[in-house]
Amino acid sequence: MGLKLKLSAQKTGIILISPAILLIFSLLVYPVLYGVWLSFFKKHSFFPGQKFVGLANYIYLMTNSDFWMSIWYGTVYSVSTIVLQIVLGIIAALIVNEAFRGRNFVRGVLLFPYVIPTVVAIILWKWLLNNQFGLVNYLMMAVGIIDDPISWMGKDHIMTSLIIISVWEFFPFVVLSVLARMQTIPPTLYEAAQVDGAGPIRRFFHVTLPQLRNVLFVVILLRSIWMFTKFDTVWLLTQGGGAEKYIRTLPVYAYMRTFMYYQAGLGSTLAVIMFLILIISTAIYFKMFRREEEI
Amino acid sequence: MKPKNNFFSFRGQFIYWCAAVLTISTAFPFFWMISTSFKPLQEIFVSPPYFLPKDFTLANFDRLFEQTRFLTYFRNSVFVSACTVLLTITIGSAGAYSLTRFKFYGREKIASLILFTYMFAPIMIVIPFYVLIKKLGLANTHVALIMAYTAFCLPFSLWLLRAFFQSIPIALEQAALIDGAKRIQAVIYVILPLAFPGIIATSIFTFILAWNDYIFVRILITSDELKTLSVGIADLYNATVIDWGMIMAGSMLITVPVLVFFVFVQRYLIAGWGAGAMKG
Repeated sequence: MGLKLKLSAQKTGIILISPAILLIFSLLVYPVLYGVWLSFFKKHSFFPGQKFVGLANYIYLMTNSDFWMSIWYGTVYSVSTIVLQIVLGIIAALIVNEAFRGRNFVRGVLLFPYVIPTVVAIILWKWLLNNQFGLVNYLMMAVGIIDDPISWMGKDHIMTSLIIISVWEFFPFVVLSVLARMQTIPPTLYEAAQVDGAGPIRRFFHVTLPQLRNVLFVVILLRSIWMFTKFDTVWLLTQGGGAEKYIRTLPVYAYMRTFMYYQAGLGSTLAVIMFLILIISTAIYFKMFRREEEI
Repeated sequence: MKPKNNFFSFRGQFIYWCAAVLTISTAFPFFWMISTSFKPLQEIFVSPPYFLPKDFTLANFDRLFEQTRFLTYFRNSVFVSACTVLLTITIGSAGAYSLTRFKFYGREKIASLILFTYMFAPIMIVIPFYVLIKKLGLANTHVALIMAYTAFCLPFSLWLLRAFFQSIPIALEQAALIDGAKRIQAVIYVILPLAFPGIIATSIFTFILAWNDYIFVRILITSDELKTLSVGIADLYNATVIDWGMIMAGSMLITVPVLVFFVFVQRYLIAGWGAGAMKG
């Protein structure tokens, strides 16, 4: 009977997987390749027709200060949010890994920011950080930290606001991934460390952290890719401010070039550059940190 | 089971305080949204602010339903998300079944290609995608949105469903076949019921992704009556005068379905998370 199962296996198997492969190829892989092709053309976003320009788009960007600023803002944004998410995520996971009353409730609530629509997250925080009526300014003034309201969406503070909002929105991903791994650390390891006289801090650095190494390797990789390519959170925060320029990261710049200046060729070039930066940094990351036994 | 930390010990105190700070900092913005959405206009801007509405009102919701197209956006969101889930689950289950039950040339290559495309972010493909959709004459249709979401959800759905199908022993299917069942019957009566938790979890992750999306709607949809909630509410927000009460009421109504689904799926969540279900 096992034989019969295998009989027409090859054909049926391929038929069953083909719709998925077809969709992934035509709607994900092909657009990426088409984007590479478009990056060598001057093309209007709406009107048909294009003109081959070779490497002109790339050369234009290399000499364009807006492009370099977007790389700079993108780097500041992704590095700071990733570091904060990882640190806060590990601390939060350590807390909810403890046994206490209401733990399941806290674990559930912790994940809320990650599953709500980004639009809602931005609107909530724009209301909290509103410079006239916002609760944050009110509380900070009431406690006496500041004397005058802070303009959170102004040019001096908008990057800070963006970082706070992004960390709040995305750190739950780190919490859940790390927590899942923490629960599988054998308690005997802690008991042995305790017998050896290690305090809580040493136990964390010598037992917990080494055990988390593999999961952190993957989490940092995924979060880096997603923060570096984050569009909606950044874009929605720029709306209706005036300090848009000060958080114009690479994805936002690519979007603006395509849909506000209608330069689809240049927009594609920016997307290709983003892709190249990701591939190169991922390769370096793997070379530096990957151990043989991983993944 | 670890013993509960004693509330009166130093360690217990410390943990309870940390947990409280953690809960308040994640939940407070939601509380504030709900509270604001039930406040009358004059209470919204009062200083010092009231934490709860003194004069509880539904006027914000009335304005939202009467003066805006919120209900249309809501219907569109439900329709697009539901179609995406159906399509993704059908194609994804067939694909995952194939990847776990059949041997064919290039199977492992396909699996790793799928994992690779999981890393793609919308901004990396949206520009050429838009140009292609325009060429196909599908710009400004829900079909374009459903196609985009299905393509985006397929990699993680396949990955997740594959993990679930792998956990179902092949022997069960063989037993059904020996008992004289046809293969399709074996799948419907043996495999699908066992894979059900995985299918539900995958559906909900897919639903949340489609429901929350902003960028594809922003780019692919231009008519107001075809917009979904994310873009609809963002445009209400960007209107000249911000009606905070109404915006908060709308935000709350967008969030509720996601949170309801989320609470439902919480017990499947860890399993899905392990297989890398959520992106964003």
